[in-house]
Amino acid sequence: MWKYEKRLQYPVNIRKKNLKLAKCILTQYGGPAGELAAAWQYLDQRYNMPDDRGKALLTDIGTEEFAHVEIISAMLYQLMEGATIEELKEAGLDGQYAQFGRDLFPSDSFGNPFNMTYIKVSGDYIADIESDMGAEQRARATYEHLMDLTDDPDVLGPLSFLREREIIHYQRFKELRDYYLKMKK
Amino acid sequence: MNNYLNDGFNMVTGLPMGNFEQEMPRDNNLSLKLAKQAGDNMNFNKCGYNGNSNPNNLYDIYNGFIRGNMFPDLYNQYKITKPFDVRPMNEQAELLTKVDAYCFAAHDVALYLDTHPNDQEMIRLYDSLNGEVKKVTREYENKFGPLLKNGATGYPWTWNNSPWPWEK
Repeated sequence: MWKYEKRLQYPVNIRKKNLKLAKCILTQYGGPAGELAAAWQYLDQRYNMPDDRGKALLTDIGTEEFAHVEIISAMLYQLMEGATIEELKEAGLDGQYAQFGRDLFPSDSFGNPFNMTYIKVSGDYIADIESDMGAEQRARATYEHLMDLTDDPDVLGPLSFLREREIIHYQRFKELRDYYLKMKK
Repeated sequence: MNNYLNDGFNMVTGLPMGNFEQEMPRDNNLSLKLAKQAGDNMNFNKCGYNGNSNPNNLYDIYNGFIRGNMFPDLYNQYKITKPFDVRPMNEQAELLTKVDAYCFAAHDVALYLDTHPNDQEMIRLYDSLNGEVKKVTREYENKFGPLLKNGATGYPWTWNNSPWPWEK
């Protein structure tokens, strides 16, 4: 089971509203390399890991990804807090507003809703772990693109933290993959 | 205010873990030195990191936390030349940052242990970090209310109290 802890894994305190940036960051909530996709992917894959190492790692990283969903959500909330209708229109978020008002909704930066086919599950644990390594790399690249799009330190702090987590997760998945390949020999 | 995160940070392993009593900005020289040793600009896909680590070559709690990475060998920076300091606005946020930092360190070491379950030295480090997590969580909850629901005790009901994590 899961328990809620009333804190973010890394604090988010964004002072400056920025709707265009929010629209870009939205992809890390509900886009193809987003945190939601990663969380479900790892937690779905853990059932068929061949040993306890894999079950532990996928459970722990999958759980952390949900903490990242919350960091991204907090960033979106703070970047859009107090936005006027005019500002929403100007940033191209009027469609978002029409459908969802001021609620969060998982989609990519273009407004395409979150799609479960983002989740890569194959029934083959090596293929699964390698798709996880790929997922971490794509998320790292996306965080770099997002960092290119802003100079606000309040935004760069959490983006940099999240990017670094992709690097660590990639490393741990790689260690797991290498270990299983060695065991297979 | 500037002394937040100071007590207890050095007692985790008894190993040199940086100086937390200085004024902010923190010891970025030390951090940069550590990152340099690890090969600052390496492409992490090609890094020579062998996956083994020991408590001696980890970042200290605070510097690991602001990097999102306790392992200097794996640290890889992008765009920003040094990680940003976390600047809590009040006493509550300060203490929460301390909880965040310890929880983060314990979690990052735990992921390492998932793929290195026989590393006794790192298990010892995890145990001591976990002890600190419990201590600072209790300290926070006694002063500012529950982080986990089972930290809510007595009258009135405190779980509902602001701030919620996404609020500034």
